[in-house]
Amino acid sequence: MWVWFSKLGSPKWFYELSGKWLPWLIAAMVIFMTIGLVWGLVFLPPDYQQGFTSRILIVHVAVAGTSLAFFPLMLVAGTVTLVWRMKLADMVAKHAAILGAWFSFITLATGSLWGSVMWGTWWEWTDSRLVSMLFQLFLLLGVISLRSALEDSETAAKACALLSIVGCINVVIIKYSVEWWNTLHQVASPVSLDPTSPNGPQFWIATLIMIVAVYLFLSVSLILSTRNEILERERRSQWVQDLVLKN
Amino acid sequence: MTEKQTTTSAAFFATLKRDLLIAFKKKNDIVNPFMFFIIVVSLFPIGISPESDRLTEIAAGVIWISVLLASMLSMDNLYRSDYEDGSLEQLLLSPHPLFFLVLAKNISHWLVSGLPVVLVSPLLAYMLALPSEAYGTLVLSLLLGTPIMSLLGSIAVALTVGLGSRGLILAVITLPMSVPILIFGTLAVQSTLNSQSPIGYISLMLVMLSVSVSLAPLASAAALKISVN
Repeated sequence: MWVWFSKLGSPKWFYELSGKWLPWLIAAMVIFMTIGLVWGLVFLPPDYQQGFTSRILIVHVAVAGTSLAFFPLMLVAGTVTLVWRMKLADMVAKHAAILGAWFSFITLATGSLWGSVMWGTWWEWTDSRLVSMLFQLFLLLGVISLRSALEDSETAAKACALLSIVGCINVVIIKYSVEWWNTLHQVASPVSLDPTSPNGPQFWIATLIMIVAVYLFLSVSLILSTRNEILERERRSQWVQDLVLKN
Repeated sequence: MTEKQTTTSAAFFATLKRDLLIAFKKKNDIVNPFMFFIIVVSLFPIGISPESDRLTEIAAGVIWISVLLASMLSMDNLYRSDYEDGSLEQLLLSPHPLFFLVLAKNISHWLVSGLPVVLVSPLLAYMLALPSEAYGTLVLSLLLGTPIMSLLGSIAVALTVGLGSRGLILAVITLPMSVPILIFGTLAVQSTLNSQSPIGYISLMLVMLSVSVSLAPLASAAALKISVN
């Protein structure tokens, strides 16, 4: 078990393994994304209250759910960096912060698009989820700016790992403290198997497919950027130079 | 060994005393954030409205946000001079647990930068037309909230201590983390104004203070070890 674990920390091993996974992941992502988007944006019947704007939610819910995964991911990567000094964990953490910031931004953007139609406002401070997502974005930007400020990459790795751990705890506290305000956000709708009900299977299955698609998209982009990072950081090692010569 | 062994508590008080002495020798570092706080608060009535009704509404928030900004300014003194003259390395080499030494530094920082601001807050609350029944809650919430700011900010300062200019990155890292304190601090004052008991919010702040006292120095100590090689 420990051999496997220490192998995981080797960038070369990860590069080779992820190279084998990548085509499958990309294929699955394309399939789920196509089904989810076409179904959600073209075929889904209009909601009896929300009309066609409910289609925005198919994307919004999937992206929002995924963007909550970044701080836990960075918590795990940060702990691995601090405890086992794995270079690979830091490479993942670096790109998780950047992707997380993008996902949080897209969540806020799709949320305000939907809100501008349904609530009549692009931004609403009384909604707790909007505010806590905004501050999650700020915390992620803090981690990114700390990394770009520190020049020594080893110091930057450890410092960002520590900040991610502190930030992950903080995101939870912020989320619950912001909920003390009156909240306007929809409570998650209960799912129903009846096709005629407003929350019928056509809605939640489409959402579920989009969630899977967005998670696959996250994995693919994270793997691709980590592979890039590996090539850049290991550019002096023999195997990377062999790889470049081969192609 | 001819050297006398010191106990951890002796080291704790020695660090506390040393930091307080240094702070009182360099009065600028104490006075400037304090003046900044008073000036920022006095700018709000000029920028928003001199009417006391409107000022009453925003008073708690204005005082709280100015406190947060002022603590950002004073935070810079926490480890910088020690890092530059090398005494921070000596601190890391000491045989005593770094947790207590960092805690001592944080406490002395709060005594010279947080406490004066708390003490002057009723005066500024009066100038912002906050009803007098809310003074007690405001002071109490600040008394609990400002040490949390010192403890949280200490982590960010420790992470960035090696950087040349770090005023802004410090604020970018720390200010989002201060949201819960800001929420509970202002909600406590608001609930007193609505003649409800603020005890729930005050106890939550007390919980956050106890959690930060026990965990934040740990993170600061780890951050110092990362920054100082």
